[in-house]
Amino acid sequence: MTATQHEGLSVPTATRRLSGAKAMVEGIAQEMARDPEVIVMGEDVGAYGGIFSSTTGLLEQFGAARVLDTPISETGFIGAGIGAATEGMRPIVELMFADFFGVCMDQIYNHMAKIHYESGGAVRVPMVLMTAVGGGYSDGAQHSQSLWGTFAHLPGMKVVVPSSPYDLKGMMISAIRDDNPVVFMFHKGIMGLPWMAKNPRAVGDVPPEPYEAPIGPAAVVRPGGDVTVVTCSLSVHHALDVAEDLAPTGIDVEVVDLRSLVPLDRETVLASVAKTGRLLVVDEDYRSFGLSGEIAATVAEHDPGLLRRFARVAVPDVPIPYAHTLEQAVLPTRERIRAGIEGLVGP
Amino acid sequence: MGQTTLAKAINMGLRTAMEDDPKVLVMGEDVGRLGGVFRVTDGLQKDFGEDRVIDTPLAESGIIGTAVGLALRGYRPVCEIQFDGFVFPGFDQIVSQVAKMHYRSLGKVRVPIVIRIPFGGGIGAVEHHSESPEALFAHTPGLKVVACSNALDGYAMIQQAIASDDPYIFLEPKRRYWEKAEIPDGFSVGAADPLHSARVLRPGRDVSVFAYGPMVRTAIQAAAVAEGEGRSVEVVDLRSISPLDLPVITGSVARTGRAVTLHEAPVSFGVGAELAARITEACFYSLEAPVLRVGGFDVPYPPARLEEEYLPDLDRVLDAIDRVASY
Repeated sequence: MTATQHEGLSVPTATRRLSGAKAMVEGIAQEMARDPEVIVMGEDVGAYGGIFSSTTGLLEQFGAARVLDTPISETGFIGAGIGAATEGMRPIVELMFADFFGVCMDQIYNHMAKIHYESGGAVRVPMVLMTAVGGGYSDGAQHSQSLWGTFAHLPGMKVVVPSSPYDLKGMMISAIRDDNPVVFMFHKGIMGLPWMAKNPRAVGDVPPEPYEAPIGPAAVVRPGGDVTVVTCSLSVHHALDVAEDLAPTGIDVEVVDLRSLVPLDRETVLASVAKTGRLLVVDEDYRSFGLSGEIAATVAEHDPGLLRRFARVAVPDVPIPYAHTLEQAVLPTRERIRAGIEGLVGP
Repeated sequence: MGQTTLAKAINMGLRTAMEDDPKVLVMGEDVGRLGGVFRVTDGLQKDFGEDRVIDTPLAESGIIGTAVGLALRGYRPVCEIQFDGFVFPGFDQIVSQVAKMHYRSLGKVRVPIVIRIPFGGGIGAVEHHSESPEALFAHTPGLKVVACSNALDGYAMIQQAIASDDPYIFLEPKRRYWEKAEIPDGFSVGAADPLHSARVLRPGRDVSVFAYGPMVRTAIQAAAVAEGEGRSVEVVDLRSISPLDLPVITGSVARTGRAVTLHEAPVSFGVGAELAARITEACFYSLEAPVLRVGGFDVPYPPARLEEEYLPDLDRVLDAIDRVASY
């Protein structure tokens, strides 16, 4: 994705190619340089630089007072982040894996998400909770989940799911500047890490200057007339690969990158479905009671007559398997996405 | 047994389960001496002793984690989470351990735990005491999620959940605890409907309303009012949220062609969304109108003086029925 794809924004167009991780760190570093209230805290975010390279170099640049290695106690350091935010700082707190949310869900939901509302709007919690999601590298049932459906159901926080280096930087800057708590869910497979599956789109054009990529609007990252694929995060890349593969066969796939789940850009989804009549939701989170249901419901409550075909490719309702072959069988792989699209355009 | 409140019915169901199986334990905050803040465990410690009805510290993670260990050693613990909002400190034990252990052990380990949660609003409570977190559990593979709406179901469903080898989230509509229903003399759980069956409570021709837990009563009231306005509304009590009883759900929509979902929880990414998706997938050619979702707003649960504005009421349900019926 390039800067010019976000209409209405005056963003620089001179870019370099950066990995997702480097783009994200650059965004954080530029905000830390601009605003002394921005701090980073979490497990191994300092000397180690983040296990998914989300904070590499920040300790050296900004020092241990602003880049804090915390104990392995999520409820403790997320609670500390909430306190710092209510006192006027802008903490970026890393939950190393989204899977660990359970040990700190009370802080996340009962406090971070609710304080603004329960204070009658008097207290703001301008905090970024950034967390790594997704599987594909045999990390088992408790380190491979996407879980954005869980966070998106809980009112009081924004939930963003960037897919490109451009958005990883720009949406991080937007999230830091946002006065609301923002859950920033980045997929390990879009960071450009050498030890993850090779993904050419994990390196992309990124402007050197600070810029905001808006939280809210979805992006039509590939226009097409036959089938709408609504997706987010790493699955955007897979969907684009499949769309390119299918183009010579005469199937014209439109790919919608949601970018943000709260708020959710329902208009872009509806406009695309109105055009194609065929909807495939591709979701690396569990199938039931999550994102794919919300997208289907969005169309069903607007006008079920828009839809001629509907299907979902998501993780079936089982924990993520450890074994590589089994894991690949449940993830929304290119093969499953392709079969899903072909099922929609068939007779 | 005659007219019985929901709270008393669950109490009787727990008592029967404990009499039937010495491995059944009850544990939670104030479940013993006090008998539970809603008196659902009233008298159980007196009759079954402190070893089987255990007053725990205020530590939900500890309660669930201890129950996991007990379940692994053959017990069938029934944990009470005192209020819905307090389940979040115990979330890791529930979603990372309870839900996943059977699968991760290749089926070798069973985790027969029932986690009872009084859920929903309507009692004028303070913050964190009126949540409806059911979609979060239904979205977690490995958990079964059920919600009773009346005393007879409360009595039977708690026994069925305890008897199952799977982990259960057992949701009790706290504002309906004091509503009574008839439990016939000599009724035993063997005569009850299967635990994961939905039930058509009131047949109708024009619109299907899908509800569970506290909203079932609201749906029935709305159907009665709609009847006076010439609309025939079918009310389905889902009873089981995960798994969903799809044949009953799709069968109802096949008859009426119109669907409204109803719950207290926020609408977005909730149970109503999944219902709409399943109906869209399965009832493509019988659906004649948009599937409308009635539920809580996408804000934290409000203070007590605002909760009547937040909770779906007759007007909001009837409005949705009117909109789908006239589409």
